[in-house]
Amino acid sequence: MNQSPAPNYPQGRKFDVFKILFTAPVVIYATALIALPLLYIFFLSFLKSDNYGGYIFEFNLENYGAFFDSTYLGIFGKSVLIALIATAICLLISYPFAIFLRDLPERRRNFIMKLVMVPFLTNSLIRTYGLITLLRKHGLVNSALLALGVISDPLNLMYNNLGVLIGMVYTLLPFMLLPVCTAVGKVDQNLLDAASDLGANKFQRFLKIYLPLTRQGAFNGALMVFTPAIGYFFIADILGGGKAMIIGNLIKNQFLTARNWPLGAALSIIIIIFTFLLVRLYRKIGGNLDELGGS
Amino acid sequence: MTPRQKTNILLPLLLIFSIILLVILGTSVFRETKDGETRPVLNVLNWTSYLPASVIKDFETEYNIKVNYGTYSSNEELLAKIAGSKSGTYDLIFPSDYMVDLMISRDLLAPLDQTRIKNLDNLNPLFLGQPYDERNEFSLPFLLATTVFLYDSTKIDRLTSYKDLKRPELKNNLVLLDDQRIIIGAMLQAVGADMNSVKEDDLNASLEFFETIKPNIKAFDSDSPKTFFITNEVDAGLVWNAEALLAIEENPNLKLTYPAEGFTLSMDNYCLVKGGKNPDAAYLFINYLLREDVARRIVEEYPYISAVKNAETLPDAELKLILKNGSYVENVGADIKKFDKLWARYK
Amino acid sequence: MRRLKRVPKMRHFYIYSVLFLLFLPIFILIFFSFNESKLNAVFTSFTFDWYVKLFENSDLLDAFKNTILIAVLSTSISVVIGTLSAVGLKKFTFKGKSLIDKLIYIPIVLPEIVLGISLLSVFALTNLELGFGTVLLAHISFSVPFVITSVRATLFALPQNVESAAVDLGASRWQVFWHVTLPLIRPGIISGALLAFALSMDDVVISYFAAGPGTNTLPLYVYSNIKTGISPDVNALTTLMLIFTIIFLALSAHFQSKARAEREL
Repeated sequence: MNQSPAPNYPQGRKFDVFKILFTAPVVIYATALIALPLLYIFFLSFLKSDNYGGYIFEFNLENYGAFFDSTYLGIFGKSVLIALIATAICLLISYPFAIFLRDLPERRRNFIMKLVMVPFLTNSLIRTYGLITLLRKHGLVNSALLALGVISDPLNLMYNNLGVLIGMVYTLLPFMLLPVCTAVGKVDQNLLDAASDLGANKFQRFLKIYLPLTRQGAFNGALMVFTPAIGYFFIADILGGGKAMIIGNLIKNQFLTARNWPLGAALSIIIIIFTFLLVRLYRKIGGNLDELGGS
Repeated sequence: MTPRQKTNILLPLLLIFSIILLVILGTSVFRETKDGETRPVLNVLNWTSYLPASVIKDFETEYNIKVNYGTYSSNEELLAKIAGSKSGTYDLIFPSDYMVDLMISRDLLAPLDQTRIKNLDNLNPLFLGQPYDERNEFSLPFLLATTVFLYDSTKIDRLTSYKDLKRPELKNNLVLLDDQRIIIGAMLQAVGADMNSVKEDDLNASLEFFETIKPNIKAFDSDSPKTFFITNEVDAGLVWNAEALLAIEENPNLKLTYPAEGFTLSMDNYCLVKGGKNPDAAYLFINYLLREDVARRIVEEYPYISAVKNAETLPDAELKLILKNGSYVENVGADIKKFDKLWARYK
Repeated sequence: MRRLKRVPKMRHFYIYSVLFLLFLPIFILIFFSFNESKLNAVFTSFTFDWYVKLFENSDLLDAFKNTILIAVLSTSISVVIGTLSAVGLKKFTFKGKSLIDKLIYIPIVLPEIVLGISLLSVFALTNLELGFGTVLLAHISFSVPFVITSVRATLFALPQNVESAAVDLGASRWQVFWHVTLPLIRPGIISGALLAFALSMDDVVISYFAAGPGTNTLPLYVYSNIKTGISPDVNALTTLMLIFTIIFLALSAHFQSKARAEREL
C-alpha cells in the first residue's frame, strides 16, 4: 500500500526542512495523541486502585482477573451480543435497500443517497430523543398499534435491552447503508445478466454474485456499526433505563463514578484487543483500511 | 461513492454552517460584550435539577459575577470531577453527607470561614452539627432530600414497606433511583440490616431480596424520575421527596409515603473546593443562597427540605422525626468495592 | 450499459419505508418545535415562540457556539496535519514509519469510549485543565485519521507522471507540492474536512470525557438535559440546522448534475 511507483521526493540531506514539515506533524500527532494515551492506559491497567480515584503503584493482574468475574463477563457478553444483533439487523436492512436502489434511475438514486445522509448529519442525541417519544409506553408506536387493535397492552419497547438495540440500529444504520450501497452499486451488471441467463434466481444471484463481490463493503459497514455499538453508553443510558448496561457504561462508570481507573483501563485494553482481532479479520478478507470511516 | 461525488455533496455544507455560525456567533458575541468581559468567574458544580436558572441569573446581575454552572447526578461523579481535574477548576460544590466526610479525609475541601457568612443565622440549627462534619468546619447545610415512596393511589394500594414493592401488580411498573448506595441501602433495610452494612451475609440477603422485586423494575433513574409518573410510564417508585412533590403537582392522584423500615437522608452542603480560585465570589453566592427570599424561590421550584428556617414549611417537630427515622449513607472506605460489584450484579 | 428495468412497486415501497423510519424521529422533533407545551409529549397548540426563545437561552447559544468553534478549529487543524501527513507518509521513508502507518487507523476502528478515556487519563496525568482546549485536542485526535485516509485515497489515484513531469521541468519540491500535488488532491482534502466537521459536530462520547466546567457543546447540552426533558428550543435549533443541511444537499445535487452535464459535453 505504501510502495508507489510515483517518484519519491529526493532524500539525502541530513537536515531537510521539507521532509520535517511533512513528517513531523504525523509523528508528533501519532505519538502524543494516539500511542501515548493508549500506552498509558495499558500501564494503568496493571495498577491498583486506591478506591478514591488514585492509584497505588503496585503491579498486579487483578483488574484483568476481575474481568473474568461472571458479573463483568456477563455484561461484556451482552454488549457483544447486542452489537452483533444490531450489526446483523443493519445488514439485513441495507442489502435489499442497496439492491433495490441499484435499479432506480441515477437521479433518483442520488437523491435517495442524499436523503440517507440527512439523519447522519443531524445530532444523534436529538434523534435518540425523538425515539423516546416514539417508543415510550404511551408513545406513538404503542398508541398506533393500540388504536389499530394489533395489541391490547402497550409493548415494552424501551427501558430494556430491546430499546437499546433499537437505538443502536437506528443511530448506526446510515454507517451501514452508505458502504453497502456503494459496494452494491459497483457490481457489474453484465455478471448479473449472465447469471440470470444461466437461470439463476434472485436468491442465487444474491448468494453467488452480490454477497462475494460486496463483502468488503459489508464488513466495512459492520465494523463501523459494531465497534461504536460496544461503546455508545449514551444510548444504553437513555433507552435502557439504567438497567441495560453495556460495556461502554461499565467503562464510563469505572472512570467517572466508581473511580476505579485501573479496572476501566483493563476493560478498555480488552476491547482494544477485541477490535484488533476484528480488523485483522477485515484485512484478511482483503479489506482496505483506507476505506473505513465512510471514506 | 467516489471522492468527487462526495465533494459535491458535502462542499456546500461548509457554507451552511458558516451561515448559522455567523448568526449565532453574532448573538453570543453581542451578549458577551453587553455583559462585559472582565467579570469575575465563579465555577460551581451542583446536582442536576437543583437550582432554578433564574436564581443564578439574578445573582450574576446583582453581583456582576459570571457563574459557570456544571451539574452532576451522583456524589461519585462529583468526586470524579473534583479529583480528576486540575486544582482551581471548581470553587463551590454541593456534596452530600458521606461525600463531605470522604472529601475532608481526601483533603479536597477548604475550611469554611463562618465569620464571612453573614446570613448564618438564617440556618435552622436542627441541621447543624450532623455526624459527617460535627463542627461544620467544612460544610453548611443547603437542602435535605429524603427517599420516599410515590405511587398512584387510584391504581396501587398504599405502599408502606419495601416488601410492598414485591406485589405482582407492580410488574414492570416501578422506577428506582439510579444510585447504588441508596438502592442497596434500601434493600439492606428491607432485610432488617443497617443501610451501611458491609457484612457479606447482609449484602447477600439484600441481593436475594432485590431479586424478588427485580421483575417489577421498569427503570433506574436519578435525574428525573418524576417524568416517568407524568408520562404514565410507571405507577410506583422510590424517589426523592422533591421529585415526588413535583409529580404530585402534576397529578394529584399520586401519593407520598415514607418506607417503614427506614429511608435515606441526603443532606447536601455548601463546600469550598481546596485551591478554588475565587473564594470571595463563593462566599457571596453562599450568602445569597441563604437569603430567605432566595431560599424560598429554590424550594418553590425544587421542593426539597430547606435548611433555611423561614423558607421551610414543615414544622420542626416533623423535621426532627424525619431526621430520626432516616439514615445517612456513610463512607465505607475500601469496602465500597463490594457495593460497586454488587451494583453491577443488581443490574 | 445498465438496462433500465421497470422497478416493481414493492421495491419502491421498501426503500421509502426504510427512509420513512430513518426520518420519523426527525419529523417528530420538527413537529414538537412548534408545540406550545414544554413537554415533548402531547401537542397542545401551534407556536413559533421557541424559535424566538432560542435566542434568549444563553446556555444553549454558548453550547452551540462552542460546538461550531471546536468543529471549525479542529477541522482546520486536522486538515493541515492530515494533508501533510498523507503526503509525507507517501513520499518519505523514516524510522518507525510502518508503526505510525498503523497507529493512524486506531481512532477510526476503536470504539470512541476507549480513545475518550485514554485521552482523559493523559490529560489528568499532564495536569491539563479540562475545558475548551482539551475538547479541541480530543477532536483533533479523532479527526486527523479521517482526513489522512480521505486524502490518501485521492493521492493514490493521482496520475503518476504529473509530478515527475513537473520535476523534469525543473520545479522545486515546494513548487511541485503547491502547484501540482495540492490542487490535485483537493477533492480528498475537502471530503476529509467535511467528514471531520460532521463528526466533530456530533461527538458525544469523547467530548463527554474531555470537557470541563463552562465548556458545553451542543451534544453535551442535549445529553445533560435529555432525561429531565429537552425544551423545544433545542428542537427549534435542530430544525434550523436541518433546513440548512437540506437546502445545501439540494444545491449540491444541482451542481453535481450540472458538472456531470459539462463533463458529458
